[in-house]
Formats: sequence, C-alpha cells, structure tokens
Amino acid sequence: MLKIKKENINTLLEELMKDYQVYAPVKNGSKAAFKVIENPDDIFTGHVKSEYSPKSVFFPQSEVLFEYSKEGVSIPEKKEKPYLLWGVRNCDTKSIRMLDKVFGNARQAPDKDMYKDPYWKQKYDTSIIFNFACNAPLTTCFCNWFGSGPFDESGSDIFVVETKDDLIFKGISEKGKELLKKLSVSEISDKKDEEAVSELKEKAVSMMPEVTDISALYEKLPKLWNEPIWQEISSKCVNCGACAFICPTCHCFDVSDEGKNGKGKRVRLWDSCMFPIFTMEASGHNPRGNSVDRVRQRVMHKFNYFKDNYGTHLCTGCGRCVVVCPVNLDIRDVIKDIINYELNKKVPADV
Amino acid sequence: MCNGYLPIQMRVDKVLTENPDKTLKTFELSFLKDNDRENFKYMPGQFCEFSITGKGESPFGIASSPTEKDILKFTVNRTGSVTKEIHYLRPGDIVGVRGPLGNWYPVGKFKGGDVVIIGGGFAFTTLRSLLVYMLEHRSDYGKITVIYGARNPDLFIYKEELEAWDKRNDLILHLTIDKAVEGWTKLCGFVPTVTKEVKLDPKSWAVVCGPPVMIKFTLPVLKEIGFNDGMVYTSLERRMKCGIGKCGRCGIGSKYVCIDGPVFSLEELKNIPEAF
Repeated sequence: MLKIKKENINTLLEELMKDYQVYAPVKNGSKAAFKVIENPDDIFTGHVKSEYSPKSVFFPQSEVLFEYSKEGVSIPEKKEKPYLLWGVRNCDTKSIRMLDKVFGNARQAPDKDMYKDPYWKQKYDTSIIFNFACNAPLTTCFCNWFGSGPFDESGSDIFVVETKDDLIFKGISEKGKELLKKLSVSEISDKKDEEAVSELKEKAVSMMPEVTDISALYEKLPKLWNEPIWQEISSKCVNCGACAFICPTCHCFDVSDEGKNGKGKRVRLWDSCMFPIFTMEASGHNPRGNSVDRVRQRVMHKFNYFKDNYGTHLCTGCGRCVVVCPVNLDIRDVIKDIINYELNKKVPADV
Repeated sequence: MCNGYLPIQMRVDKVLTENPDKTLKTFELSFLKDNDRENFKYMPGQFCEFSITGKGESPFGIASSPTEKDILKFTVNRTGSVTKEIHYLRPGDIVGVRGPLGNWYPVGKFKGGDVVIIGGGFAFTTLRSLLVYMLEHRSDYGKITVIYGARNPDLFIYKEELEAWDKRNDLILHLTIDKAVEGWTKLCGFVPTVTKEVKLDPKSWAVVCGPPVMIKFTLPVLKEIGFNDGMVYTSLERRMKCGIGKCGRCGIGSKYVCIDGPVFSLEELKNIPEAF
C-alpha cells in the first residue's frame, strides 16, 4: 500500500486533473453532489456520504441523446478527458457497477451492439473510481445487510483509507494498480499505518447496525404478490418519487423532444415507477394505475426482478431513500416486514 | 459506436386511410439511405419506434412482411399526441424509425405445423406481417386458419387484402363482427365465441393478438379446446421509451416487453401476474 500526507493531497489531485476530468463531492447549497472540480479546494470533505449519489456522473438527470433539425439528426461532439471519481463510498461504487450491468449490456448477447448504451459507455469505460473507506458510517447506513461494509474494497479501482495524517492507497483493479504506479504517491505504508487502518475499520464496523438476514427475500417476494402487505406498505406512500431520484441504483428514464420550429434536442430524463404516468398508455389504459401496484413494482424490481436478470439486489444499503422520504417510509422496515410476514396466516372468521 | 437511440430517416411514400372514421391509417415508408435499406433485417412480430422529431416517438408493430422488399408499413390508430401528429403525415414527409426491435413470432418452429391466427380490431398489424410471410412460404406450413374480429365491418384493416385472402383456397379465413349489420354475410359474434365454434385442431400453433379483453377471453377457450400453452403465442403492448431494455418502462415481472418480447408464449407468461 502507498500513502500520501494529507497536506500533499492537492498536489496529487492537480496531477490527476491533468489527465482526468475529476468528479468529487462539492457542496451545492446545503447538500453535496458529485461535480467536476476545477480546484482541489472545491472538494467537500466534511461528511460521510454526499447527499446526492455519483450516479449522475455517468447518467445525468438530463442528457441530450441527439440534436435534430430539418436536415436530420446529429450527436453533439464531446471531447472529454476520462472520468475520475474521487471520494466515492462503497455503496455508490457498487451502485455504479450495478448500473453498468444495465447500460453496459450484461443481459443481451454481447455482440448486439444496439443494446449497449453509448452515452453510458463513453463515460464509464475509461473511468476510474477512488473508493474511500467510511470511518464513521451514518445511522441510516445498512450496506452490511448486502454483504458489504464500511471498509469493503470490492468494486473499487483504488481503495483509499483516511488516517489521521495520511491517505493510504491500495490498487484493487488492474486499472487502479496501473494508475497508482504512475502517480507521485511513492511513500510505502508501514506497519503502523496498517495498524491504524485496522483500528479504523474495527471502529467503523462496530458502528454498523445489526445485520438483517435478507437471504429469504428473493424467494419470498413472488409468494406475497396478492397479499395485503402491499396495501399496508403503500398506504402512506405519496408516490412523490423522491426515493427513486435519490437512489444510486434507480435508472428508469423518460425520453422527450425539446425544441421548436423543427429544431431541438431529444433528451432523456430521470423518471420513476412511482408516477402514475410512467406506464399510462395513450388509450388511457394503465397497467399500474394504483399506488399499491407501483410500490410493489419498486420493491419487486429491487429485490426480485433485478436479481433474476443480473444476479444481485438493486440496492446497496446507502440509506438515502430513508433520509429523503417525506412520510418516513423506511426501506429497512419494508424489508423486515416482508421477511417477517406470515404467509397463510389464519384470519379470524369474525373479522 | 453503434447507437440504438438514433433513428434512421425514412420517407412516407403512401398513406392509406383504413376506415370511414379516419382513425386508422396505414403508412408505407421507404429508406432514404442504401445502407439502411440493406441493414434493416426483420421478422414478423418485431416492432419499431416511430418518431417525428419535435413531436415524440411511439412503438408500433411492423405491419409489412420481410418478404415485401424495401418498404416498411405501419398502421396507426389516432389516439394520443404522437399518433395525432403521425396522422398529419403526407407522402414525401420524412420520419424517424428505430428498429427492428424485440423478438418475433417463431415462424421457424411453426414449420410443418398447422397455424391458427386470431386477431381483433386494429391489432391485426403484426398478424398481417405473419400471414403475408407464411403465404410467401406457403409450402413450409400446414393448414392456416385466420379468425379476425372487429366491432363493425368498417373497423377491419387491410380490407382489400382480406377480400383476396378470402378467395384463396390454401387459407381459411373467418371474419366476424360483434353485432349483425345489414349486408354483412360473414360471421357474427365475439372472437372467443367464434374460436370455440370453428373447430380448431388443438395440435396447431396459435397466435393471438388483439385488445386486452379479447385476449383475456380467448386464451381460456384455447385452453379448453386443448391447445398447449407452449404453442400459444401472443404479443404484448406496454408504454415504451427506449425500446432497448434500459428505460425500465415496459417491465412485466422480470421481463421487459421491448427486449424479451413483445412475443411471448403462454408458457412464459404463466408466472408473470402482471402480464395481462
């Protein structure tokens, strides 16, 4: 492992900024989001997790697919340096890897280029992620339910631990290892550093909530399809979609033309399965016309359908939806309620 | 890099109004570029995203058959904002088309077997594609039976072709309308009832496509006759945007109608409670 003194971080970042477009948490009003930095001092470090996830780096809330005019369509040329993400937590690293399964096309035959998303791939394929360990997880964190944890290195290109005076770097992917070799971070970490890392890790892990065993979730969900639990769960949901927009793994989008007089842009915009119009057809028919169906869809997609297609739950336990939900509909409670739900419960005849 | 979001440009060559109410129009399109024409290989049952830039994009089943060279046909019911704009199109106008998308009717599996096509209303589009395709490869298939229903005689699409098919002796065509009207000499009654009455061989392949209510009541009839769930196919419709399995809109269970469908066998849909 290599290390750098904290006072030299800016020098390192300036070096990285020469070859990369560096994205890092930047304070935007009262909240932090991943933005391109122009100066290393722009980076906001006073939190554990940015309020907004870095999904927007690769999958912006609004993205131009092409421009059109009477002459035809054209894709706006973009000459960008490769993307480098600095200060990403493991929940978000994992989310980005999950989204690559969708946009990078793990499901269709790999030779079917039409099913690869060129806008995602252009940004993602050359990117590099500096995944920072979480020294002080939040009370809303529950990544350990998904087998992860505050010091999980998996999925990182470069894993970083912040000790009292240093940043300790460990190359994880080939890409990460190669980059580390090139950088002017040459001080080798010693035994004392390793002890410091283990100590931080132990402390961070102890701050995590008790693990809820979710292994039964996937198989149980389809059995609950017609059960009244969905009424219970959805009864307080206001279908605002905040959970989907803040979620680092939600990736549904709308496509819309914006322009006038025959000239404009076709854009894609984040969308949410919580909105009635999401599935509303021109005829007026709506396959998911009520809130109960929509809440069930969101839970099923996260904990059953996605696993069918890509082998993993579509949730990393980042806890952002817990924070933003205006009616305190807590996904952790939803998961527990589903796991604890008694099927074939006898209802007293006189009820 | 290949870009599945980019439409190719096509020219409207012909516009045919299918009914007196002018709510149904068929558009015949031709390719502007030679390599688009050469690369566009499709099969009956596939669909395209049809767009008029600035007005929007919607999915439609391809109504032409791949045996009809160099053109694409779409029949569009005027119902929402995009279809309204499509109905304004005139010959010479340029439109955008993405596709072909999705899977297709398994015409390869059908080879050597009898095939029953059951359709309703203006959902006959991809069924026309299938029928034209099979008639072009007539010797590959056994008995072909078509049951096609509409609310009234005006609402059938492809009326001239229906007349021609009716005269063929290598095809059995049952046309039916909901309620008898003067001058109508063919069948009367709903599609599920007719399906029950015309004596189908349950060893046939079946393709059912129509309004949800027709599908809902026809499938149990086929089951009752003894059709095998693995040999009955239908084509599903959902609101779509990307058409390439990314935008999440057309999900039914863990399937996406755009890439896993739109064609599904009943066997595949059995465990998807949302399918119908």
